Amino acid sequence: MNFFSLIQIELQKIKRSKILLLLVIPVFMMWIPSILNADGIFDTQGIPITPESNFFVQGFMGMVWFMIPATLILCTVLLRQNEHTNHGILKMLALPISGPALCLAKFTVLILLTFVQMLLLILAYYLSAAAASAMVDYTLLLPPLFVFRTVFGFYLATVPMAAVFWMIAVLIASPIFQIGIGLASIVPSVLLINTKVWFAYPMCYPFYLLMIAYGRAAAGVYETTIDWIPWIPIAALLTLAALFIACLRFGHAERK
Amino acid sequence: MNIIETKNLTKSYGSFTAVSNVNLHIRKGTVYGFLGPNGAGKSTTMKMFLGLTRPTLGSFQIDGKTFPNDRVAILKEIGSFIESPAFYGNLTGEENLDIIRRILKLPKHSVKDALELVGLTEFKDRPAKKYSLGMKQRLGLAGALIGHPPILILDEPTNGLDPVGIHEIRTLIRSLPEQYDCTVLVSSHLLPEIELMADDIGILNHGHLLFEGSMEQLKAYAHENGYPTDNLEQTFLALVDEDNQQLLRKKIEKRGKRS
Amino acid sequence: MTQTPTIGFFQMLPLECKKLKRTGCLPAVVLCGLFAAAFPLANMLVRPEAFTTLPGDPLSILADANWQMIAMLNILLSICLCCIMYHTEFADRGIQKSETLPVKAHLLFLGKGTILAVSGIVVILTECAALGFCALHWFPAYTFDSSAAFALLKFAGFQWLMLLPTMLLMLCIASICSNMWTSLGIGIILTFTIYVFPQKNLLLGLLPFSTPYHLLSESVSADQTLLYPAACAAETILFALCGAIYPSIRRYHS
Repeated sequence: MNFFSLIQIELQKIKRSKILLLLVIPVFMMWIPSILNADGIFDTQGIPITPESNFFVQGFMGMVWFMIPATLILCTVLLRQNEHTNHGILKMLALPISGPALCLAKFTVLILLTFVQMLLLILAYYLSAAAASAMVDYTLLLPPLFVFRTVFGFYLATVPMAAVFWMIAVLIASPIFQIGIGLASIVPSVLLINTKVWFAYPMCYPFYLLMIAYGRAAAGVYETTIDWIPWIPIAALLTLAALFIACLRFGHAERK
Repeated sequence: MNIIETKNLTKSYGSFTAVSNVNLHIRKGTVYGFLGPNGAGKSTTMKMFLGLTRPTLGSFQIDGKTFPNDRVAILKEIGSFIESPAFYGNLTGEENLDIIRRILKLPKHSVKDALELVGLTEFKDRPAKKYSLGMKQRLGLAGALIGHPPILILDEPTNGLDPVGIHEIRTLIRSLPEQYDCTVLVSSHLLPEIELMADDIGILNHGHLLFEGSMEQLKAYAHENGYPTDNLEQTFLALVDEDNQQLLRKKIEKRGKRS
Repeated sequence: MTQTPTIGFFQMLPLECKKLKRTGCLPAVVLCGLFAAAFPLANMLVRPEAFTTLPGDPLSILADANWQMIAMLNILLSICLCCIMYHTEFADRGIQKSETLPVKAHLLFLGKGTILAVSGIVVILTECAALGFCALHWFPAYTFDSSAAFALLKFAGFQWLMLLPTMLLMLCIASICSNMWTSLGIGIILTFTIYVFPQKNLLLGLLPFSTPYHLLSESVSADQTLLYPAACAAETILFALCGAIYPSIRRYHS
């Protein structure tokens, strides 16, 4: 069985499962405060930033720091629940497919879902920026190339985090603990982002890229160049390790 | 020729032994009835055949192959239905079977055939979570029968079905070896059911295999050992009761020795 | 025929506690308390000079630096607890059984609410103990006498009151949505949407999911010592009433 058709099967499994709805709601909800607070965009509190960049950074802050990781966690849990509610996983394990391949296929679905969410995020950004522009009579829209490039960067930076959350979902059987541990792990990223070891904590990655974007838009707020080393090797290592452990333990609890 | 054979198969969870030194011999092209009260170890044994749980001791082979090396090869030959039916509630009956079909790389029409075989065609477009217990059971069976695998492992397939459904499924299982040249291992806690379907039977109680052989052999065995023979249900109950008494006596002796 | 009296609140409470066995609620409360308590400790271990050089009361300095994250953890814990409490009811239709027994429907909610409030006390006391320890260990000027202990307890009590409306609103949500995932999603979205709302807006600041971030020192400095506690007490009573009345409404209209 090739990997591509396995992914197709996994996508079929989440039909009618409302996972997409879960991705859509927060994306649009998170922009409501930004629109309501559009006036405040001009009050930059002495930071040298243009209103349009300020709108972008403020709006994406909550999304990148918390909402994207939180929806990732909910997706991992829902993907797992999808298998467990009616014991679908037992049927899968009794069919001639390899466990690790199934595990990786599910992870691929997870990052595909995140990709869809990113596209929705861009759409929500433009809608809310247009609405806010109309309200304050000032164009708050940034050029598409910049927006797409930045958001795509966020997307790539969420992959290591997704791998870690997927590993948590595989290792921990109780859904409420999966969520509790996942959510609790997001909170300290605001603390760790300001330390020298931020690259060791995958939940910081997208937030770090946003801070860089912030630094580039407003001089003196944060660094303006990305420290690729040791970030990229460490991130790759963490991703591979998390996926390796997930594949190793996938289906283990059901095979007792 | 035996298609499934076990050798001192044992499974323990901590101090509890679910299956103890079981030696089964399942002949190719027959229906093997696996009989025993609830909690006797039937499901655990069947789960071991599917690689869903690992034996603590002993071994078994299926069509000359063993776990875990030939896992995929073994599973390709087996259609299974274990414990409560396993499915995806958000998908329709047809979609559920389509997933299995794709994994097994079967032709498209096999889904339709399987639905028809279990009488679920009418409800194929309804999400499985809205199925009644009997329909879920039929869906599980369809998932086992799809593509006519050479070996079928069915764990209490008639649970939750109405009398008409039980009769249908029974007749279906009985006809399978002839129609598709397959071997069926079917479990139940009801002897009359096994009596109507199986060529050979194995009786399991508290993880021990009490008897293995054909229906005639069971009758002879009962006659020899002074169990009632006019009704097989009585034979089975007496057999299990005798075993339970023995276990109880052993326990009491153990306790006596300790104190 | 004599009628047996129906079960009262104090007989119901132990039963509610029993229902939480093996759900992981107790370890969750303890772990959350410890994890949140680790924030001020980590902050002080990594960069003590950033805080010890600040002017003012050590407790407020520490609270300013850490309470945002601690409060968020407390909110997340409340969400998880509410979800699991009602999940055990809905998952295998335990609630249906409860509703067919001669129990007053509101006791179920109030029992859960009480357990939630008590777990709130446990986590907040753990967190305040950590703040007290940090103040004592890193701020030479801080002495732990009776007035300091009173201040710490007052702080703990205030923050507990700030957390209550959020807990009870979340419990209401969990009791209404029979699907745990729906209530969980609503909880998380509310948490973060309200978090990014501007905190300066007074009306928004008084909402559940927003009050837990509000500090005692902020109330004192803005000369609004009573506004927040009064609002939180009123919200708590309101949500408790809603949650208590809802089961009877649902039964008759569904």
